[in-house]
Amino acid sequence: MNHPTTTRTRWLAGTAALGIGALLLAGCGRSDEPTSPSAEAGAGIDDSPATGEIDVWAMGNEGEVLDELAAQFEDANPDATINVTAVPWDGAHDRIATAIAGGQTPDVTMLGTTWVGEFAPTGAFEPTPEGVVDTSSFFEGSQGTTVVDGVSYGVPWYVDTRVLYYRTDMAEAAGLDAPATWDDLTAFAEGMRAEGAASGLSLPPGGPDSSLYLLPFVWQAGGDVLTEDGSAFAFDTDAWKTAFEYYNSFFTSGLSENVRLETGEIEQKFIAGDVGAFYSGPFHVSLLKDQGGKDFEDKFAVAMVPGDQTRTSFTGGGNLAVFGDTDNRDTAWKFVRWLSQPETQVEWYGISTDLPSVESAFEDPVFADDPYTSVFGEQLSDAKAPPAIPTWAQISAIIDQEIEQVTRGDKSVDDALASIQQQAEAIGTGS
Amino acid sequence: MTTATAAAATAAPLAPAPKRRRARGRQRTTLAAWGFAAPFVILFLVFLAGPIVASFFMSFTDMTTRDLRSPLNVEVVGFANYIALFQDPRFLHSLVNTGVFVIIGVPLTMALALLIALGLDKGITKFRTVFRVGYYAPVVTSIVAIAIVWRFILQPDGLLNAFLAVFGISGPNWLQSTTWALPSLILMAVWRNIGTLMVIFLAGLQGVPREQHEAAMVDGANVFQRFGHVTMPALRPTILFAAVITGIGFLQFFEEPFVMTQGGPLDATLSAAMYTYDQFGFGNYAFASAASYVLFLAIVVLSLIQFRFLGRKD
Repeated sequence: MNHPTTTRTRWLAGTAALGIGALLLAGCGRSDEPTSPSAEAGAGIDDSPATGEIDVWAMGNEGEVLDELAAQFEDANPDATINVTAVPWDGAHDRIATAIAGGQTPDVTMLGTTWVGEFAPTGAFEPTPEGVVDTSSFFEGSQGTTVVDGVSYGVPWYVDTRVLYYRTDMAEAAGLDAPATWDDLTAFAEGMRAEGAASGLSLPPGGPDSSLYLLPFVWQAGGDVLTEDGSAFAFDTDAWKTAFEYYNSFFTSGLSENVRLETGEIEQKFIAGDVGAFYSGPFHVSLLKDQGGKDFEDKFAVAMVPGDQTRTSFTGGGNLAVFGDTDNRDTAWKFVRWLSQPETQVEWYGISTDLPSVESAFEDPVFADDPYTSVFGEQLSDAKAPPAIPTWAQISAIIDQEIEQVTRGDKSVDDALASIQQQAEAIGTGS
Repeated sequence: MTTATAAAATAAPLAPAPKRRRARGRQRTTLAAWGFAAPFVILFLVFLAGPIVASFFMSFTDMTTRDLRSPLNVEVVGFANYIALFQDPRFLHSLVNTGVFVIIGVPLTMALALLIALGLDKGITKFRTVFRVGYYAPVVTSIVAIAIVWRFILQPDGLLNAFLAVFGISGPNWLQSTTWALPSLILMAVWRNIGTLMVIFLAGLQGVPREQHEAAMVDGANVFQRFGHVTMPALRPTILFAAVITGIGFLQFFEEPFVMTQGGPLDATLSAAMYTYDQFGFGNYAFASAASYVLFLAIVVLSLIQFRFLGRKD
């Protein structure tokens, strides 16, 4: 129980020491000018071979296997060296914050798509120079995650989107096809229940990131987090009400068990037939194949998420950003540019199984002919990310809370939405 | 430091020198002492005292992530963070949870640890080492490993409910129940912390003079009388120490909810430390600093109370 102290102390060492300096040295006061050196993109990048060294931070599995891909870049650019540092996801957010506070940043870093809105206002990232990448080559939803206040910081590297996983054998027994609409989905879940599943469709009734399950329903109903002009929150709207009530209906009707299943539990229940369908990202394909064994491989399939007005799903993934303090700006951007080429991305899929952020890469037979990845490709053209606002993490945590209260029957949807709206307004968009 | 002083002290008589030179020698000793202390002092100032003071000042500003690179831009907002903190129902709720945790957890841990320590000190002699290791094992085991095992135990169809089912009781979904999540975590924390206290109590018990026990026995005192009149008084400083460190530990209740429930369900296990951590994660550095200082103050007050009631009565 002593760890929190040490963690917190270390934290403060990184960030707070600057705070005191600020108070002692300055008369204090937020200037109206932007803190970033300039929100304008710098000069373009030429096509000459890259030279010199750059440091790249990458998280999780990406950090562990990026070396393999970087070696190919080094072969093509003999004078360039790419130093990859693998950063565990757990500490990555804090580590980047500390690096920015201490001015000890690498040249390039991978970023969670929802972090851009928080870190970009520090002015630590360089806006993407004109012409480095063709921004229209990426999936729209992914490209959107790099943009804060109209300026793009970095490029989408790989994407992740949620589709519907379902038991084909159970669906067949119930005489059902993959659902396309909300009505289909309810009937589908009922059918799965009739086939013995405890949860026809498994949805989280609350807890961390439940909001990311509710949000696609809102988009499907034509709503969004912010109003059209992005100036205010739009939680007290009909779309939210419709979506939230539909989400809750799975719990009130008993089509979804009121239990939160974590990764590790859900695949077991799915294989056992206790869960008929669930939403998840691409990583579950191999997980299910591994755990279900040969016999299970043809007992499940993936489908585009069913919808209302649209069939929008959630998109996440990883972006690449270049820090403004880099000593080797050209090589940093050249590396980023190379990583976002369709051929490189197909290659990268082979190494990491990360889905390409470039739309045209899905034309490659590796994706087009695969019954699973082709669905992800299709889904990505109708996928969205939460708005890139600095306070998103805080607001999504509030939504998680309210979902839990509603699914437990402690609160009505109307009250929950009013509460989300009021709390979100108190926090603000942070910009 | 001790070695340096000793060396200087033995060197002095070898050369009986006038007073002035001895004074200089002493000066050198002090200098050497500071030299040896310097690494710690510097590290302490830079990595502990500095940040602690800095975060105190920071708690009066509006610093967030956006100011990371240019902290000169923060605005002083006075007590606004503290006021906002006490207007946040979630923070107040986290304080209540922490209070419940301390009030139940501290006495329970201490009582159980003392009982086990007494047992190991006197009772079972044959397997003493095995038991000492057994009770201490949770202390040195990684919380993540513990969490996995306890999740297994506390799952709806887990070990605990399977055990209860033997008696015809159908147990709840412990970690997802607003009623049972906090008690479950308290139980886990108590189990985890008993080891540390047990070792401290064992050491304390070994310091109780055997002669006093023998004298009491000769006077015809029974086991309980001997415990009340001989063991307890001798153990008083140990108990004070144990109460203070356990109190501080439980006030900082963090790892159990962090790993097991993330503060849920519905904030039922949200502790003050967990709340603070979340705020840092959101990038609300100034606000989180304010929360840390409230927690810090609570720790100071609790420790003072403990000193007042358990301290030596002369």
